Amino acid sequence: MNATFVPPTRFSRLVLKVNAFLLIALLLGAAFIGLVAYKQGWFVHQTHIHFVTANALGLNKGMPVKLYGFTVGSVAGMELSEEGVDVRLSIMSEYMHRIPKGSLAKHSREAGVVGAAVIDIVPGKPGAALAEGERIDFQPSRSIAEYIDDIRRQAVPAFNELKQVLSDFKGSGNDIAVSLSTLRKEMEALPQTHRDLRKLLTTAERTAAEFSTTAQATERAMTNIERAVPELTTKLGGAIESIDGAAQQLRKTGEEAQGTIQSARPVLERGDAVARDAGEVFNAAKRVWPLSDSFNETVDRELPIDSFDARSKAPRN
Amino acid sequence: MRALPLVALLVLAAGCGGTKPPATPSQTSSQSQTRLADFEQRAAMLMRSGDLEGAARQYGEAARIAATVENVDSVASNAINQSIVYQWLGRDADARDALARVLDDPRRSFSERRRLQAELRRAIVDLALQNPVSAATFAERAAQRCPNLSCEHGATILNVQAQIALESSRAAEAEQLATRAAERARSRNDRAETANALRMLGKARRAQDNAKGAIQPLEQALAIDRDLADPRKILADLTELSLASSAAGNRDAARDYYERAVTVSRALRDTRGLAEMEAQLRRQPAN
Repeated sequence: MNATFVPPTRFSRLVLKVNAFLLIALLLGAAFIGLVAYKQGWFVHQTHIHFVTANALGLNKGMPVKLYGFTVGSVAGMELSEEGVDVRLSIMSEYMHRIPKGSLAKHSREAGVVGAAVIDIVPGKPGAALAEGERIDFQPSRSIAEYIDDIRRQAVPAFNELKQVLSDFKGSGNDIAVSLSTLRKEMEALPQTHRDLRKLLTTAERTAAEFSTTAQATERAMTNIERAVPELTTKLGGAIESIDGAAQQLRKTGEEAQGTIQSARPVLERGDAVARDAGEVFNAAKRVWPLSDSFNETVDRELPIDSFDARSKAPRN
Repeated sequence: MRALPLVALLVLAAGCGGTKPPATPSQTSSQSQTRLADFEQRAAMLMRSGDLEGAARQYGEAARIAATVENVDSVASNAINQSIVYQWLGRDADARDALARVLDDPRRSFSERRRLQAELRRAIVDLALQNPVSAATFAERAAQRCPNLSCEHGATILNVQAQIALESSRAAEAEQLATRAAERARSRNDRAETANALRMLGKARRAQDNAKGAIQPLEQALAIDRDLADPRKILADLTELSLASSAAGNRDAARDYYERAVTVSRALRDTRGLAEMEAQLRRQPAN
């Protein structure tokens, strides 16, 4: 029996194979690291600027820094300082020329009150760009309590106006009831007036006919005049009484109509005031968040091109 | 050699750390359009509230955002608006530079209307900068884009050309152009340009020693400008009327117009306009 161990042929040069495998893995790993580094922006030249804030609430390392909504960097780090918290921002150098001196860093959220927190850079007046290590001003974000207080400040006047309008409506309702009652009375009086007028017309017609007959009788026989005159006088007296009655009724109707108009006037005036108030309430409601977004006014896109602007400012000789 | 796998693992693990990478600038088109509309709206609001500096900035930003989404019409309209606002601020050179976005960019396909507006604005700015040669070039280019000068800016082009002619001591040509401008403006019911044309007509007649003939169009221009309630133009009308009345030998009317002009100028706090008016009156030959 042979005691010498002979390794199986399939494991020949095992160390070499393992090392080759590890070398390939290392190369792949290096490539992966390179890719990750590229994605992380390690090859992009960064410029560091900083700001100081009283507290770092809501701020954290890695938070994106945005300019006009574009991400141009991130929060590189934070440390306590004498004035509060010193926050370092790492900005891609290619965008630094867009951030002039006097720019402002603002802590805000992407969608107003909610949404991801970001540092928003508000550029200052055009001028020299910020340099490496320079400090910019910082404006902390508004708290929910401040937003609610703002909404409350805007909403309270609107609700007060609404309340006033509702009470005005209630007052107008009383006046309308009074007016309707007067109108109803007037309507009830109308048939009587109509009847009186018809009676007046009939009487006047009859009187005219009788007057004609009397005139003919006067022409025909002067002798019958003494008989005819008293009869005519009686009938004319009746007609005059009817006319007087109708006139009194007409005067009464006129007075009632005047009363109705006087009653209607405050209603109309109140209605006008109510319409004005409603307009004001609507305008106030339009200004209140969240309705304000639904009432964007149209924008005049083009300013007028006026040849008057061609005049030179300096006096010419 | 045995430590090699461990080293490899450590190296691989290192790649997983680090801060969140800054994302590459990317935005959806709708977001950009919303932002563009916001800037335009903000600019219009600032204009209404009289904050010209703020409005100019907003128009500039709107033009920049429009460029990012290749909205060429908005680029042009905002650049032209910015130019107008700069000129109202007295920053004529900035007004000229703002127009470069349209005039110096042959690659973008701006519409004929926008190119015409930009060229016309450039002619106006060049005139304000006392460069009538360049103004004439741009006014001519604008006129070529406006067939028979019957487009919406026909009267404005003619008024600018009239002023160029007057600046170049061609008063008779200026009078002719101003008359045409007045006709065009009236046919389009453009009251502002009608008044500008009538004022130009008065100036051209006075330059031709026809001071009496200048009074009537100037008074018409003043009536229109008072209706439009534009104090700068009212001041210009009163100044011209004072000069024309003085040249026509009517010293009382000249003094009256002068005093009215001084009142308007003081109310406007336009010390430069007042100085300019007084300088013009001093240059007027005494009657």
